[in-house]
Amino acid sequence: MTDVIFQAFVAPLRETFFHKSLIGGSIAAIVCSVVGCLVILRRMAFLGDALSHAMIAGVAGGYLFMKVLFNVEAHAPSMLVGSLLAAVLTVTCIGFVSSVSRLKEDTAIGIMYTGVFAGGVVLVSIFRNYIHIDLMHFIMGDVLGVADSDLWVAAIAAALVLSIIVLFFRQFQLTSFDPVMAAAIGMPVVLIDYVLTTCVSLVVVSAVSMVGVILVVGLLITPAATAYLLSDRLDRMMLLAAIFGVSSVVGGLYLCIWLDSSGGGAIMLFCTFQFLVVLVVAPRYGMLANWLRRRRTVPQQLLEDILGTVLRRLGKPVSVTEMSSHVAESGRRLASAVKTMVRDGLLVPEGPGFVLSQEGNREAKRVLRAHRLWETYLKHVGMGGAELHQKAHELEHLHDKESVEYLDDLLGHPIHDPHGSEIPENAEQCVPGATCRLSLLREGRAVRIESLLPGSAGVALSPGESVRIGPRRHVGALWSVLRPDGAEVVLDHEAADAVLVRVLE
Amino acid sequence: MDTDNGKTGAIEIEHLTVSFGPRPALLDVSVKIEQGVLVGVIGPNGAGKSTLIKAMLGFVKPDVGNIRLFGSPLQQARGRLAYVPQRGAVDWDYPITVNEVAMMGRYRSIPWWSDPGPEDRRLVDEALSMVRMGEFGNRQIGQLSGGQQQRVFMARALAQAADVLLLDEPLAGVDAATERAIIDVLARAKATGKTLVVVHHDLATAAEYFDKLLLIKQRLFAYGTPKQVLNPDLLAEVYEGRLRVFSGLTANGGAND
Repeated sequence: MTDVIFQAFVAPLRETFFHKSLIGGSIAAIVCSVVGCLVILRRMAFLGDALSHAMIAGVAGGYLFMKVLFNVEAHAPSMLVGSLLAAVLTVTCIGFVSSVSRLKEDTAIGIMYTGVFAGGVVLVSIFRNYIHIDLMHFIMGDVLGVADSDLWVAAIAAALVLSIIVLFFRQFQLTSFDPVMAAAIGMPVVLIDYVLTTCVSLVVVSAVSMVGVILVVGLLITPAATAYLLSDRLDRMMLLAAIFGVSSVVGGLYLCIWLDSSGGGAIMLFCTFQFLVVLVVAPRYGMLANWLRRRRTVPQQLLEDILGTVLRRLGKPVSVTEMSSHVAESGRRLASAVKTMVRDGLLVPEGPGFVLSQEGNREAKRVLRAHRLWETYLKHVGMGGAELHQKAHELEHLHDKESVEYLDDLLGHPIHDPHGSEIPENAEQCVPGATCRLSLLREGRAVRIESLLPGSAGVALSPGESVRIGPRRHVGALWSVLRPDGAEVVLDHEAADAVLVRVLE
Repeated sequence: MDTDNGKTGAIEIEHLTVSFGPRPALLDVSVKIEQGVLVGVIGPNGAGKSTLIKAMLGFVKPDVGNIRLFGSPLQQARGRLAYVPQRGAVDWDYPITVNEVAMMGRYRSIPWWSDPGPEDRRLVDEALSMVRMGEFGNRQIGQLSGGQQQRVFMARALAQAADVLLLDEPLAGVDAATERAIIDVLARAKATGKTLVVVHHDLATAAEYFDKLLLIKQRLFAYGTPKQVLNPDLLAEVYEGRLRVFSGLTANGGAND
């Protein structure tokens, strides 16, 4: 067993080529990932792809230049400078085309990079007898064959780019977040744009020899995107992206040794796999978290249906099985909803079932009040029959205070719904100690008159008087108030609305 | 609220309730808009002005209530309704000319196997000259000023030969001269018997521009002449205070009435 682990993990570490791959790959991955954070926030992923393709023309150009003028084969620094020039040329052309024409930038990128890339391909194939570049090497990369010169190039590029990012962090942050404001406070936005593009070119150039033209854009954006799912701050996102970049290289290199596969392919495969895992398990923005959040919160509609069912049983415990015949859910989902409601203090277990807690009772009455008021309203606007109950059942979930009180007032504060069931009172305002409009109260309440608002003219009541609410008269359209001496005062809807009272009991 | 109960209104909304979440966006809105009036829909942000327009277009399904156009249900009268979008929703670089945009107003009635006929062209020309854009017919839409662009889309709506035009904030972000030009077009459209419903956000100009105002905040607070609607108590209730801002409006409305 130990032997297997040793063979799998430690043995490759004894090989010099593996060291170089690890170091070179990690350096390239760190700097790619950090720059990649800015790239994805600016939505420039396509530009990264374009630059990596365009640089093949630069490599060919640099090679030819040294070969023809100085007869030097494969002079690495000039190929590097050539790639950078090609990248800058491409970016300039893209900017030029999109500024002088009506074409949108993505179209301009598509035109210019394929043009420059095609130029490189033609150049390489015309001079195939002079240029000893393996196109496949560029397209696929060769992380296992990293030369010392590649390492130096990668290290210098990384040091340069990282210093720039660290030194000008605030400038990059602001120009990627709000370029207009950046320009307004005098930041050289265009210059910063070019610096960022040059940084992207540099990191692409240093990473292409390892993972190849096609995959380099993945190394640029995938670790950054992975970090984006985990962090809400740019600096942490960059740090995390760098870690994911390195882990992709390490994991990918082992994968490549074990499977004896292409190095660049294995790195990107591991990187993508890593992204997918984070996409699922990320604590806030992950799919699993989303799913759990949705599961844990009981849908408002189900919650209200359960409350209504329990309330209608008038204090008798209701079991989950009994509930399931009245609500749209059953089985595990219903059981877990009930569990959540017990935890939230709406239901209390009692014997074989559940009863409403005080808060649950209040909540249930609120929904029932909304339901019955909607039912009365629908009848009022001319709906009838079986449709009435079904529609009111849908509408009872619209029970914000303002809407319900509007309906109540519109309908003249009815006491009974069309089926003759009592509509619960406004539980918030009709409690002892509260001040409310007289029109909200039902028979039997003792109140003290607080004040008379305009609209109560002619009402024979005066502030400070203690009275008791009598029964509604005239099919509920008139309110009656009983004085302590037994005299009755009758008010219409408008007058009852205009009398403010303090509820005594 | 209704001034002519006997006649069928151009738009009749009955007990309209629309909700997207636990709170209704529109609650129990009933209103009858007469034919040939220029109506401004006013109300604070998030009051349901756009929802009302969407409901009239049939984009949202009401929870309760219904909308009738000239006495028929919305679905059957859709051809009598035209909509002018907000300017921001358009790609101004799109390769299309003023004439072609206006011709889109006819697409509904041109069968797929046929080309626009002389009648279609006549309606388009008429619509363009009504908005005073007749001479710009071959311009690409990006080469117009903001006010001209807005007018082209009004021409498209007019070319539909609809009886009711719904406009979503046509005066948002345009300069004073453009505003004048657009109001002028609205008045000309009204003169040909069209009914116009315009979402508007500027209370200061509402009394001057519109025959009737519809004040809305979830519920219908008022529908009537500017003098009736721009009532400080009502505005204070809808806009929650700030009476000082409103004090001049009613006098203004009265002067123009």
